[in-house]
Amino acid sequence: MFSEQAAPTAQGLLAPPSGEPPTFPRLAVAGYSDLSQPFRLGERSFCRQYAHVYAVRLAGMRPLLERRARGRWGEDIALRRLSELQEGEKCCVVGTLFKAMELQPSILQEISEEHNLVPQPPLPKYIQPCDELMLEDELQRIKLEGAIDVQRLVTGTIVAVFGCEEEDGRFLVEDHCLADLPPPLPWSGPSSDRFVLLASGLGLGSMSGEALLSTQLLVDVVTGQLGAEGEQSCAAHITRVILAGNLLSQNTQSRDTINKAKYLTKKTQAASVEAVKMLDEILLQLCSSVPVDVMPGEFDPTNYTLPQQPLHRCMLPLASAYATLRLVTNPYQASLDGVRFLGTSGQNISDIFKYSSMDDYLEILEWTLLAGHISPTAPDTLGCYPFYKSDPFILTECPHVYFCGNAPRFQSKLLQGKEGQRVLLVAVPDFSATQTACLVNLRDLSCQPITFSSFGADSED
Amino acid sequence: MEQPRRITDSFPRRRRRGPGRPPGRLKDRKEKDKAKAKDKAQLKVRECPRAPSQPPLDPALMEMLRRFDLSWEYGPCSGITRLQRWERAQELGLSPPGPIRDALLEHSDNPDVTYRWVWDGLGW
Repeated sequence: MFSEQAAPTAQGLLAPPSGEPPTFPRLAVAGYSDLSQPFRLGERSFCRQYAHVYAVRLAGMRPLLERRARGRWGEDIALRRLSELQEGEKCCVVGTLFKAMELQPSILQEISEEHNLVPQPPLPKYIQPCDELMLEDELQRIKLEGAIDVQRLVTGTIVAVFGCEEEDGRFLVEDHCLADLPPPLPWSGPSSDRFVLLASGLGLGSMSGEALLSTQLLVDVVTGQLGAEGEQSCAAHITRVILAGNLLSQNTQSRDTINKAKYLTKKTQAASVEAVKMLDEILLQLCSSVPVDVMPGEFDPTNYTLPQQPLHRCMLPLASAYATLRLVTNPYQASLDGVRFLGTSGQNISDIFKYSSMDDYLEILEWTLLAGHISPTAPDTLGCYPFYKSDPFILTECPHVYFCGNAPRFQSKLLQGKEGQRVLLVAVPDFSATQTACLVNLRDLSCQPITFSSFGADSED
Repeated sequence: MEQPRRITDSFPRRRRRGPGRPPGRLKDRKEKDKAKAKDKAQLKVRECPRAPSQPPLDPALMEMLRRFDLSWEYGPCSGITRLQRWERAQELGLSPPGPIRDALLEHSDNPDVTYRWVWDGLGW
């Protein structure tokens, strides 16, 4: 977008300053509605167990999976519960998957530090060839074997399996199916070019100053203070900026001060205080020009369990004065100019990455859409609030743009569904590592990366 | 003589031994206390505070509620009130029986009815 339209006017930078500098009014927001109400927790109560989450997930997704099973294997297949299985009868069972993994970090092994056993170091992936899959429904569980990819699937997915029970009590799977894409939403997007900038992983407070220059370049481009008239007029088409998590760097999370004595740590302040002040100043520059949605991430000062609640506005006193700043929850859902956005800060995708053989963030993102659930591994390996009434991570409608933050590199894909769904999948890269942000064009659901690289430590200049 | 109700009546009454009493004396005190308890009216409360004017609960109602708790179709029963569980089952389309809800709303001030069935006073 920028390069084609900006190039003809680049010579304008070499001309003497004009009497009346041209101004480009930013495109006004046509329609915005925040649909993340299911992710906002009011009063929180933690005296419940997690069995409720799995029970409502299965009960909520069972009708959909039964419909898919009938559509795939015939209208007259036998849908059985595990307690009604008969040996040798071909039938279909709907249930929750559980993957028994030997290397999965267990709290009991962590407690074993007391016995001087070395705890397991964190690994990039916890999969092993000897992992087993079990299917659980409301009452029983059974071991699955056969035409099912044990390495690829993760705990917490609701599946429908077709096969029969063997003599020794295992279920031989001939075929299986997931919930598939949710029903499509009607399209009412804009007819002219409108852009949304997606960035994540700003990583402030990380001690290295290189990323700061790139962040400042990003802010200057979006607010139209960089480039010739062509670039400025392009920047005026950016109607919104979404910061998808990890605004603070992992370095601000040092917990050494907790173990030290109080008299040693009295005068030190948390590293995140300086980082949040820097964030406030950056957001102030952005908010004075464009609406910004700020989602919290893994290293941000908010709660740890999903759904993460918005950052508190008292931490951002300068930027909160503007109504254009919106502090939103971690799975974030909103309708911008008629286009439905849904995305997370990446914790769900990176958790599935650890427990599955899938390596590509975009592939995992697409898989969660096909599984009909934003984060199936919660609450098993990813912290989750103990819901009891309904599971808000079940996908009921197909969004138009589905993104995840903090991916290792930029990837995007336009997915077409059988029922007319059109989804743009975007893996937003980590800005502190790649200095790349994404521009999504709402008119035709296309996405392009925009990189703000500066002179690095290894450049010769 | 009607004793005035105190806020500490909801806590279990424990016999407090005075300072410097040898433990051997406890046996005599127990007998003395037993005699006292027989004379006085029942005012020791062990369970959670209840309004004094409530009639004892219908065992058939408690049996119906217990069966509702233990039926697996409506999901786990621990950690949520019976009314919350009923409403969740209703929203998921599992059609829980209507009389249960009427009974729960009718006795909404009685904690034995609203919370889940507990086994011998223990549970969560």
